[in-house]
Amino acid sequence: MSKRKELEAKLIARLRDDVVCVEKTDPRTIFIDVKRAGIREASKIITNAGARYLCSVGYDNIERDGTLGMIHTFALDDSDQFVCCRTSAPENDAIIESITPDLPSAGWSEREVTDLLGLRFAGHPKPKKLVLADDWPDGIYPLRKDVPHNLVPKGAEDVAYELDEAPPGTKIVPVGPFHPSLHEPEHFAVYVDGETIKGCDYRGFMTHRGIEKLCTTQISYNEVPFIAERICGICGSVHATAFSQAVESAAGLVIPRRAEFIRTMMLEFERIHSNLLWLGVAGHLIGFDTVFMQAWRVREQIMWLCERLTGNRKTYGMILVGGVRRDITPEIADDIRRVMKTIEDDLAIIHRAIEKDTSIHKRTKGVGTITKQQALDWSLVGPVARARGVDIDARRDHPYAAYDEMKFEVPVLDSCDVWATLVIRVIETFEAIKIVRQCLEKMPGGEFFVEMKDSIPAQRHAITVVEAPRGESVHYVITGEDNRPERWRVRAPTFPNLQAVPLMLLDEQFGDFPIIMGSIDPCFSCTDRVAVVDLQTGQASSISKAELDALSRQQQARHASLKG
Amino acid sequence: MWLTSKIKQLLMVMKPGVVTLNYPHERPPVPANLRGQPVFDHQKCIGCGGCSDHCPARCILVRDVCQELRVMLYDGSRCTYCGRCADICPEQAITMSNSFEIACDQKEDITTRMELFMMTCQRCGRCYEMEKTNAIDRINLKGFRYDNLEQRALIRKTSETFDPTLLQQSDQYQRPSTKE
Ligand code: SF4
Ligand code: SF4
Repeated sequence: MSKRKELEAKLIARLRDDVVCVEKTDPRTIFIDVKRAGIREASKIITNAGARYLCSVGYDNIERDGTLGMIHTFALDDSDQFVCCRTSAPENDAIIESITPDLPSAGWSEREVTDLLGLRFAGHPKPKKLVLADDWPDGIYPLRKDVPHNLVPKGAEDVAYELDEAPPGTKIVPVGPFHPSLHEPEHFAVYVDGETIKGCDYRGFMTHRGIEKLCTTQISYNEVPFIAERICGICGSVHATAFSQAVESAAGLVIPRRAEFIRTMMLEFERIHSNLLWLGVAGHLIGFDTVFMQAWRVREQIMWLCERLTGNRKTYGMILVGGVRRDITPEIADDIRRVMKTIEDDLAIIHRAIEKDTSIHKRTKGVGTITKQQALDWSLVGPVARARGVDIDARRDHPYAAYDEMKFEVPVLDSCDVWATLVIRVIETFEAIKIVRQCLEKMPGGEFFVEMKDSIPAQRHAITVVEAPRGESVHYVITGEDNRPERWRVRAPTFPNLQAVPLMLLDEQFGDFPIIMGSIDPCFSCTDRVAVVDLQTGQASSISKAELDALSRQQQARHASLKG
Repeated sequence: MWLTSKIKQLLMVMKPGVVTLNYPHERPPVPANLRGQPVFDHQKCIGCGGCSDHCPARCILVRDVCQELRVMLYDGSRCTYCGRCADICPEQAITMSNSFEIACDQKEDITTRMELFMMTCQRCGRCYEMEKTNAIDRINLKGFRYDNLEQRALIRKTSETFDPTLLQQSDQYQRPSTKE
């Protein structure tokens, strides 16, 4: 607690009148309200106190007091604390000083808020569109309360995203929106000098589904976990757990210990399957398909186990606000023990077969290097950060569910390359198996679900983090009326990690692009979860939108004539 | 090093052999409690609308065509097989079956339509709430409901007594748009 007091004292001493109030209700989270003039200074003080930037959340408060709200969130990893620094700007003068010059990883969060809420940031180094489609009309901010969730806007004409200027002497290689080395649509413009990458610009957010808007206008609290689960096809339980925990924390609901154990197990199952999946994909990306086949063969065991346990091989649907949906029976517990043993043995075989393989070393060692300092500056998370010597893991630093009782290693390596990421993810799979076994051993009896007695009061804020296989996910919830959240912000691990990809690519060989990209285990759907319905991309330099349209119309006409 | 790795890899591949099932000729076992396609039992359903209220995909629609007749429509093309409807139903009228091979050309093939005679029910939701006590699982849309079944649109405007004008308006339902 002393660190917290110290931070509060520092803020008040340095900012004086700019600090409006410091809320102390939650022992784990400090909410600080500052006037907008002091926001950049406040976030500097907070980061200087050793806090790590998480993400920023914008919200529409126009109906209540005519303002747009902005929250910068930070974590103090050594003392298990979160710091949420809130401020607001009136709707008719919606501008706040940017914190991106001090914290590069805030860049996307701020651009997102500009797109979705119309709040602008003075001094932002790259105030371009991020989330919205290029032809999204100006002046419609989809996350504002007065915009209906199913609005069909009239597209703007002849607009295309302006890619960054290519550095002198380089050529542009466009990768995507659809490209064999990418598993989801996004566009990279890679600037190359010969074979060497000299920079890159990213235009993504092409798989928007408007999840946040949907969940704050259409459905109620206990349906959100099911939609949250579909943010990502891989770490579904992570998002469902994070959301449920945030709501439980806002409502002051304590869930049964058994439910926490079951959640922990589900999260670890997910880690095992995700790490095996990634191991396979990494093998595939460097052209080593034996690894791909074998890793996925082993993975199938866990998929089937989860199917027996939850009724589905993915999107388990186990997590609800208040606990979990299905219990672990003694029979299924035996089943779990058996499957864990098989996976452990099989993975050990794969591990031994590839750890000394020189072709893998050549493709991954010394590739995609960035320094520890850069990793810290860009707030990298998960195995990508741990491979660069950054010792963070939300399971250990901010324990949730039953992780406070679990004993496990957090592998940290300092060779700063793709190889280290690979090793870490293999070790973490073994650790996950250990955690599952501990869960089975220590799991207390009793209920696995608790009902909510009263409805959840509105206007409560809560933040939670959950360590997904690829890094930490942050969820921020503001509770609302009508049995649903008023604002729900999801920050998936790819959000910060993807921002650092241009740095990882710098001075690498173009042939290594797929594996470097793949090493962060990007999940574009998670990152793109935010905005709205309509999608259209103009492919910048080589072809104009009109040409593209004409081409695709021709194509369609041809299909039609063939059919007819 | 290179050679020993390759030998190890060879063994790793040989030992398990071929594991891929020759689907559809060979079928994997379907676990007993699989969450497959939900099946509705019109004998048990009381028409409370709880499932519609709590379907994350909003694919169960309710339309009161007159005082006595409630039409319920389950649109399987949007269903996520989460099983929430089966959990929430106070009458156990929904079972998550183990059928999962339901890809088809016609949407109608995976659509279930029930017409329920509602007696004098005022759709207060009381029958539902006697069973369901969780405060965040209560029914939000009480009263008479007018979803647009053709467009598969859930309409959040309800009325306490049957209202023919709302019924008519719902026929004209259109998504909000800024296109002219
Ligand atoms: S299974 Fe889920 S998505 Fe399908 S109808 Fe039931 S509640 Fe809706
Ligand atoms: S919840 Fe059950 S009883 Fe109520 S309308 Fe749905 S199927 Fe019928």
